[in-house]
This record gives sequence, structure tokens and C-alpha cells, in this order.
Amino acid sequence: MTTAMTCTRLTIYTVAGIFLQVIGLSIFVFGFFPVKPTLSGVSDLESYRDPFCDSAPNPNESELHPEKLRLLYQELSGISSKYDRLILMVIDGLPAEFVLGKDGQPPRKAWKESMPYTQSLLANGDAIGYHAKAAPPTVTMPRLKAMVSGAIGGFLDVAFNFNTQALLDDNLLGQFFRIGWKMVMHGDETWLKLFPGLFMRHDSVSSFFVKDTVQVDRNVSRHLPNELNNDDWNLLILHYLGLDHVGHTGGRNSPLMASKLKEMDDVVRTMHLKATMDHSQDEGQTLLIIVSDHGMTESGNHGGSSYEETDSLMLFIGLGSNISDYAAATNNVAFQVDLAPTLAILFGVPIPKNNVGVLVPGTLDSLRDYEQLRALELNSWQLLRLMQAQLPSSLFGGFSCNCFLYGACEGLGSDINECFGDKEKQLICLFKNAAVLHSIWKSKKLIESSSSMEDFSRALDAYNAFLKTASEWLASKTTEKPVLLLGLGVSAILLSCVVCVTLFLSLFKEVYHEPKDRVCRGSHLLNSEDVFVLAVPLIFVISMGSSSMVEEEHYIWHFMVATFYLLLLFKTAKSFDFSKGMNILRDYKLGSIFSLLISGRLLKGWHQGGVNWTYLPDISKWLEQVGSGYVKRIQLISSFIVISLGLFTLFRTRSKRKIVCVLAFGFTTCGFLILLHAWRYQDDMFEVSTVTAKLIYLLLSISAIGAALALPWSMLNKDKCFLAEAGDCLYLIGSAYTLSWCLLQLLLQQPINSVPILLLLIQILAISGLSSKDSQVNEWVKIAALYYMGMAGHFALGNSNTLATIDVAGAFIGISSHSTILSGILMFMITYASPMLFLLSLVMHIGAYLRNHSHSTISAHRDTNLGEALKLRLGFPCLVPLCINSILLTAYTVVLLLMRNHLFVWSVFSPKYLYVCATTLCTYIGVFVVAVTPKRFIFLLFLVIHAISFLETTLIGNGTCLGDGAALIVTEPANTCRSWFCGGDAVLMVLGD
Amino acid sequence: MEETKKKKKPGTSVGVSGDVSISALGAFFVHLITGLFLAVGFWVARNKYSVDLISDPSFTLRLLWSIEFPLVVIIYSSFRKNPEKCSYSKAVGRSILGLISGAFLNVMGAIALGAPIGMQYLPKTIHWSFLMSVFTFVPATAVYGASWTDWHRVFASMKPSGNIEYMIFIPAYGAMIGGWFGAWPMPLDWERPWQEWPISVSYGAIGGYIVGQTVSLSLITFLRKHKNLKVA
Ligand SMILES: [Zn+2]
Ligand SMILES: [Zn+2]
Repeated sequence: MTTAMTCTRLTIYTVAGIFLQVIGLSIFVFGFFPVKPTLSGVSDLESYRDPFCDSAPNPNESELHPEKLRLLYQELSGISSKYDRLILMVIDGLPAEFVLGKDGQPPRKAWKESMPYTQSLLANGDAIGYHAKAAPPTVTMPRLKAMVSGAIGGFLDVAFNFNTQALLDDNLLGQFFRIGWKMVMHGDETWLKLFPGLFMRHDSVSSFFVKDTVQVDRNVSRHLPNELNNDDWNLLILHYLGLDHVGHTGGRNSPLMASKLKEMDDVVRTMHLKATMDHSQDEGQTLLIIVSDHGMTESGNHGGSSYEETDSLMLFIGLGSNISDYAAATNNVAFQVDLAPTLAILFGVPIPKNNVGVLVPGTLDSLRDYEQLRALELNSWQLLRLMQAQLPSSLFGGFSCNCFLYGACEGLGSDINECFGDKEKQLICLFKNAAVLHSIWKSKKLIESSSSMEDFSRALDAYNAFLKTASEWLASKTTEKPVLLLGLGVSAILLSCVVCVTLFLSLFKEVYHEPKDRVCRGSHLLNSEDVFVLAVPLIFVISMGSSSMVEEEHYIWHFMVATFYLLLLFKTAKSFDFSKGMNILRDYKLGSIFSLLISGRLLKGWHQGGVNWTYLPDISKWLEQVGSGYVKRIQLISSFIVISLGLFTLFRTRSKRKIVCVLAFGFTTCGFLILLHAWRYQDDMFEVSTVTAKLIYLLLSISAIGAALALPWSMLNKDKCFLAEAGDCLYLIGSAYTLSWCLLQLLLQQPINSVPILLLLIQILAISGLSSKDSQVNEWVKIAALYYMGMAGHFALGNSNTLATIDVAGAFIGISSHSTILSGILMFMITYASPMLFLLSLVMHIGAYLRNHSHSTISAHRDTNLGEALKLRLGFPCLVPLCINSILLTAYTVVLLLMRNHLFVWSVFSPKYLYVCATTLCTYIGVFVVAVTPKRFIFLLFLVIHAISFLETTLIGNGTCLGDGAALIVTEPANTCRSWFCGGDAVLMVLGD
Repeated sequence: MEETKKKKKPGTSVGVSGDVSISALGAFFVHLITGLFLAVGFWVARNKYSVDLISDPSFTLRLLWSIEFPLVVIIYSSFRKNPEKCSYSKAVGRSILGLISGAFLNVMGAIALGAPIGMQYLPKTIHWSFLMSVFTFVPATAVYGASWTDWHRVFASMKPSGNIEYMIFIPAYGAMIGGWFGAWPMPLDWERPWQEWPISVSYGAIGGYIVGQTVSLSLITFLRKHKNLKVA
């Protein structure tokens, strides 16, 4: 074989490229996203000593009795702890806005009236609330970790959110456990996964059934009376999930929201009344803290970094500090991580080692002045230790053990100066100022015994200034990136991209530069839509550098795809010739393009995606406003149309195979079940739907896989030409794939998304309507366009580049027991519905291509090797998506690397990168299916041809061309791919003669 | 019907030579005047009504196209094809029709590309599309009328013959491409008032139109020199 590219070689190179890409990607991901915190171990007695002192050995600390340890901590800290019990009530997904209002304004009337007791606490000054800013990703588990450890976790925590593991880093609960606290937890089982074996009693509920808004909370509240009467616990955690579920199902303005808030308010009242009653009876005080792990968007989702999502609540009840008015009680801001050091100080345990939070101002007001300064000092020491681990020790040169106490720090005058210079020097200087002022205050207090108010407030301010700056610095400082790993990953990704592009180019050359082929492909090589299709990845590469373009990526995809349609329209109009009269083919084409344009516009208008303009009206909002009855009706209608369109596609080939009828029957049954499911959806959800959904899964997978396996067998003994027959077959398989995927999505997606699914199916059919025999659009252009349309559809289904838009509710349909993997797969299927649909439809297009070109290509190739040319052409459906994806992946990897210090790296660029990785996975899966289907099919065909030719040559014995085909097969049995085509060619020639 | 059209084709292509032609200098003046009138439109909007494209886009766009449209019609109708068969008033009449149908096509194209639909956008979209139509469709309808072959030759096959055709199709394409590029800043979150539909697109279209005029002028002069050299 003289051609440079053979089937096997192409496959080997492609697989190698993919392999390289996977390796590079995983190296990069693990290098870029910090997984480990900076300091290991837990804070102990050490944390009460000056960080510049040599560590004194504490050999017996671990053997100390918890009670003794507690006393030791208290003695060393010098802060008397007023409280001995803590109730931590976590209301999942409650935005602080609901309780505290926004921008100094009280909360909306509906919310305020739903929580009368909490509001009265705030108004009386018994409670103080904070807008506790949560760091993205605003998902439950990383937020809980942040609250108890004070550390901003690695970004990949999101990825592990469905695979919770025990929290091994230093955290509050571990510290409490060490001093012998007894802990009780009722609520979200995430706590149990984070802290296995730590709770004395627990009753966990699952965040699994997102549609359950009542029972989850009832299961928590039923323990409340008993637990409040018990006095065997020190820490009671109540994690209510219901509000988050209400949000997920109905958004912020869900009709269920008011009653849910009222329910939460009742819980607060019960707890507070009990706590104050206890307080009046005996010595120990109970501190009541109400927090939320994150907020929610207008539509009730969370995960991103918008104000609505990060605005979580931190409400202290019973601090005993005197708050003057409602505004002072509600108009405070803090960070979510600040909870950890605050609780550690209030309850007399060391601050967790990797904490970056600072003491919440206003919570320590009830402490005496020296206690307050000591608390700030402890917090500063802890942050300083964390800084020491990240800064060169030379910066700390002047400091020595307790030198501030004696005014003996080398080279550091005892005067207070303004802090300038780079951030690191500034931090050291701020710390020095605070320490000096603190020691001044201390020495004055010793002498005068009545402390001066001015010195106290100066020291306080200096500490707060240092803490604030240090906390910001630590939070913003991403851990050192392993340069070698990143370089290795990026270069592997780059190399694989080069491999893919080279393969594509050589294939392109092979197919389009063959002299014989020049007749078919027209006079010029590149025309406007070819250039455009090539320019699209470049446009994306350029636009990805801008954070707002990443946020609003859906605009670009739609704009590109619509421009492509317009170019197609222009091209078709160009070939218009009125003199030829009305042409059915041309009208059909025009119809296809117009339906593409219209459906594309409708898809764009369906969901107003993105970040900045989500409030603008769109069709889905409008429909939901009009009423859910309409949504349901529309869902039923569009499901019905999807099924009929699918059946139409199946029967369009006019093949009278039995298997087509079987397939049609299977799909109709599925469609009926889905319609039934949709009908019942709102009335009652669980018991019925699980069985139905499982049945639908089973039927759909049987139909799709069965079609792929059984259809090639039905090709036996057909008197049609082989290529056309094979094309028909592949077309049928492809439509079976497409249809089953569509039906699956109708089941999984939200009801409002059923119309976009229908529109996507229409687009696929319209594009296949464009590929007629005199198709002017090159094959690879069409494939690239399908990929782009898939991405445009991805955003049209309501997805965006923030993690908040992932549809969690659909991921549990048809799963009866908790399975991380299964629901993860479902979630992936829902999110990547559209790209996968378009990739699967490629099988259909290969079929249509084979069928349409069976004659024209052969006439052009009669004397050359038809097999090679055809097969290489079939390489495009695999290579083009891989190529586009690898270009985008490479570009985005580089962009992420360049943007690593950007303000939005964790909120915009990193989530986008996760999406890019998932898209890569989706492309791999799709391409795998596209590559395997014809191959499997070819393999079966090979057997069939072999059998026929064997029979014919032996039984009939006349050496027709069928014999040639067989001889070819015998001589080159290894290359099944080619022998099939050669065989097909041979058969065809016989039939032609 | 089809037969007659087929027969007409050679006739029209012969007619090219008999048409009114325009010199490079004339082309320069035509472009200069149309460009100047755009500037006049902006000036009037600013000084007489004290609005601009940003503060009141629909009014400014209306002003622009209603100033530009008569001028374009007057100029290009005098270059109409087959002047002996087609009177001046007929050319004016068909260019009014061309304005409306071109506006319709522009609206459709813009909406397909994602222009917002809604009552508050309707006047802006309409006036924008009229302006676009003045840039793209009106000169061509004034010159060719509804002759498909001419349209096809000039816009699709890009085989213009004569200076007037360069003057028509390059600025028209320039306006369209400029408008296309003008849509790019719209999704950015700079929160500038000019990012609103259709302000940046109008700026892009006007810029593209002017660039197209310059390109067509330079092509005309370049080609003439080329021809002269050949003749010499
Ligand atoms: Zn949560
Ligand atoms: Zn949630």
C-alpha cells in the first residue's frame, strides 16, 4: 500500500494521541489544583506559645486525660470560657439575605414575616448576624470543611463532593473531641462522612432525594425535644437540608419557602427558649449558632461565586454582648472561615492549624480587655505560623522568642511605623506593630494597674489590621505550584494536540489532494464556510482569555453557529439559478437551513444563561410564569413529536426489515412510558417513577445496543449494492442511538427542557437533510459544525460555566439506593446531553454519507483503491471532534496557567476548566461510540462476506468477482477494515455489470 | 416564465457597456458625500436634538437613515442600469421597495444571530435595519432593480464589472462584516452603555461601511492604473 495513512496506523496514532492527552491532563489537574493543606498535624499546647520560641517538648500530651487537657488549654490561653455547650444549627442553602436583608435594607416582607422569632431576637439585641462570605465552590461539603477547619479547601473538593471522605486535617470537631466533648449530630450525613466515629449519637438523613422537602427535616426535628432535655452532650449539630431542597425544586420564590422558613424559625425558638431556661437554672451557658453553608441563586441552585450563592448566614444567639439596634445586629460582614477561630477561642481550644479566618469582631465583646487582646494574639500567632511555612525565614530575621515582651527584638525598633513595601514585608511590619502595642499596653497595665483605654484600642486596631491583611494574603495565596508537573502536563497536552492536528491535516491532504478526487471536490479548496469553521476554534482560543467571555460563552457559541447557518444560506442562495426552475432538492435544502436558523434562535432564547444577564427574560421563565400546567402540556406535546420524528427517521430508509419494526415498537413503548411518567410527574414522584424509569433505562439500552448488534446481521443476502446497504444500516443504528438518547433526556431533564431536546433533534435531522448527493459542504465542515451545534445546544439546555447550573434533581431519577457512581453518571448525562447527542448523530451521518456517495465515489474511484479513500474519509468523524476538543483543551490549559493569579481564577476559570475536562471526556466517549459502531459492524460484515464468497466459490464454482473479493480477504485478513470495502467494491462491480 | 428570464440574461450582460459609468474621481466624490452626510447626521443629532447613538439610539438611527437614504437614492439612481428602459423615477421607486425589503432581511439576519426580541427593542431594531438597508440594499436596488443575475454576479460570484459595482458591493459587505464584528463586545461585562443592542453593532456597521468605501476606492484607482498600463 503506497498511501502514507492506513486504517491501522491512523487508529494507532489517534489512540496514542488520546492516551497522551489523558496523561497530560491528569498530571496538570493534580498539579494545578491544590489538594493538600499547607501544614500537617494538629494544633496543640504549642499554639499558646510565641511562634519564635523553640518548641518545648510535650511528650505526655497525648496521654493527658481530656479533662486535664481542657484545663491546661484554659490555663495557657488565659481566657475564661463562659460557655460549655454549643448548638450548631446548619440550615443548608439559607442565604443571609433571607434573615438579615441586603445592603442595609431589612429582608423582604415575606421572608421577614416567616421568621418572627429570629427577627425579634435580632431586634432585641439577643442575636447578632453576619453575612458570612463563603468561598466558591459553594457546595455543601467544602463549605462544612471550611467552617470547621477555617481553611479554604482545594478546588477539587467539588469533585469529591459525591465521594465524601473523612476530614483528616486539623479541625474544631477534632479539637473538641480531644478535650473530651460529647457530640451529637442530626441531619445531613455529610457530617458522618467527614467525621466518622466522632459522634456519640447521630441520625443522618441523606441529601439524596432532592425532591423531598418535608421528611428530611422532620427526621431531624423529631430528636430535638429529647436532645434538649438531655445534658450528656457538649455539641449538638443540627443540619437541616429541607430549605436547600426547596430551593433546588422551586427556587428562592418557591411557594414552599415561607413555610420552610417558619419551620426553621420554630426550631430556633424551641432551642432558644430551652437554652435560656437552662441558663437561668445552672452555671453552664449554651451558645446557639445558626449558620448556613452557602446561599442559593434566584433559581435555587448553588456552586458558583455570585453574591447570592456566597452570601451565607452566621448568627450568634446568646453572646451576651450588647447590640444597640437592629442595623447593628444585621449589618455585619465576615467570612465563613472566621467561624473556626471564633469558636476555638470561645470554647477554649487551640485554633486549627490551617485556619485562615480571623476572630469575628463583635463576638468577643463580653470578654475582659486583656482576654480580648490575648485572643487576637493567639489568632495572630496561628496565622503567623501558617505564614512562616510559606515565606522565607530570612523575613522573620529580627524576631526572637518573646522579644516583644522585653523589647529586645533585634533591629526592630519599638516604635510604630506605617507599613509600606511589598505584601510580605507589610505583613511582618503590621505584626510587629501589633505585638509592640500589645506589650506597651501590658507593661502600662502592670505599672498603672488601670489600663488606658487609648492604648487598648490602639493595640486592638493594630491586631485587627494585621489579622485582616494576613487572612486575605493567606486566602489569596494559592499553594506553590509544582512547576515541573505543570510543565510536563502542559507539554503532553500540547504534544497530543499537535498529534491530532497533524493527523487531521495528513488525512485532509490524503482525501482532498488525491488527483483523482479533484473532480468531485470542485474548483477551489477552501470556501467561506470552511474558513469560518477553521476560524471558530481560534476565536474561542482568543475569547477564553477574558473572564466575562468565559462567563458568557453561550453567546459566542450561538453567534458562531448562527453565522455558520447564514453562510450556508448564502451559499445555497449563491447556487440559486432561477433559470433552472423550481428545484425540489434546493427547496428541501432551503427548508433545512431555515429550520436550523429558527430552531437555533429558539434554543438561544430558551434559557438566558451565563452570569451577568440571567435576570433578562427568556422563554423558560415566561413559560414558568404562565403556569406549570402549560409546561406540562408542552412537555407532553414535544415528547410526542420527538417520538414521531424518531419513528419517521427509522422508517425513512424504507427498509422492510423486521428489526426496524421491533425497534420502532421498542421506542414507542419507551415513549409511552415517558409520556406516562411526565403525566404523573407532579402528582407523586418516588415509588411509581423509580420502577418506570428503570424500565425505560432498560428498554432504551436494549434498543440502542440491540440495534448496533443485530442490524448488521440483517444485511445478509440483499440484492442492493453493498455500500448503500451498509449506509442504510449505519443510518438506522445512528438513528437508534440518537432517538434513545433523546428519549432518555426527555426522562431525565427538567420538564421545561423537553422543547430544546425536540429542537436539537430537529437540528440533527435538518443537517442530515443538507447532506444530499450533490452536497456542496465538505464532510469535515459538517462534522465540525455538528460539534459546534452540540456545544451551542449544551448552553441552550440551561448549562453555563458555573457549577451552579448542574441539574442535581434529575440525577436521582430511577435510582432506589444511594450510589455515587450511578448518580454521577446520570448527572454527566444530563449536563452533556447535547454534545453527546450530536456526537452520536455522527453515526447517522456516516450512514447517510455512505448511502449517498456509494455511486458517485465509486465511479470516481473505479480504478484506484476505493477502500482506502472511503475509510480515510470515515476517519473524519472521529478526528474532527477530537481535534477541535484538543485545541480548545490545550488553549484553555495555557489560559488557566496564565491566569493563575487572576482575581477570578477560582470562581470563573477553574469551574470552566472542570467543564472543559468533562467535555473532553464526553468527546472521548462519543468518538469511541462513533469509531466502534462501524468497526464492529465491519467485523460482522467481514464474516458475512467471507461466508457468502466461500459458499459461492465452492458451491457454484464460477470465478466471478466475488471470488476476487474473497481472495482479497484471504490475502489480507488482518486489515479487516480495508478488505470489507474492497469486498464491497467487488460485489458492487459485479452488480453493476 | 423561466424561458424569458433565460433569454434576458445575455441581453443584460450586453447592456453593461451601454450603462452610465463613473470615473475614479466621481467615485471618490460619491463616497465623500455619503460619508459626509453620515457625519452631518451625527452632527445634527448632537447639536440640534442633543442626542447621540448612546443616549437615544432609535432616534439617532432614524435621523441617520432618513438623511442618508435620499442622498443614496438620488446618487445611485442616476447610475441605474439600462437608463433608456428604466426611468429615474422608477429607479427611485424600486429603491424605496428595496429599503423596506432590505430592512426586513436585515432584521431577520440580526434576530437569527441573536438580537434581542421585545417591544422595548423593536424601534431600535427597525431603525437599525433601515440604516443597514441603506448601506447594503438600497444602492444595489437603485442600480439593478430586481435583476437576479446582476445581484448574483455582484454579490455572490463577486465578479463586478465597472467602478459602480465596486462602489456598491464592497461597502455593503463592509457594513455587514463590520456589524458582525461590532456585536463582539456585547457580552462583555464592562457595563458600558454602548454595549447595548444595537449601538455597538451600528458603530461596527458604520465603521465597516467607511472601510469598505476606502477599499473600493483604492481598488478602483488601482485597477484603472492596471488597465492603463495594460493598454499602454
Ligand atoms: Zn448545602
Ligand atoms: Zn444544594
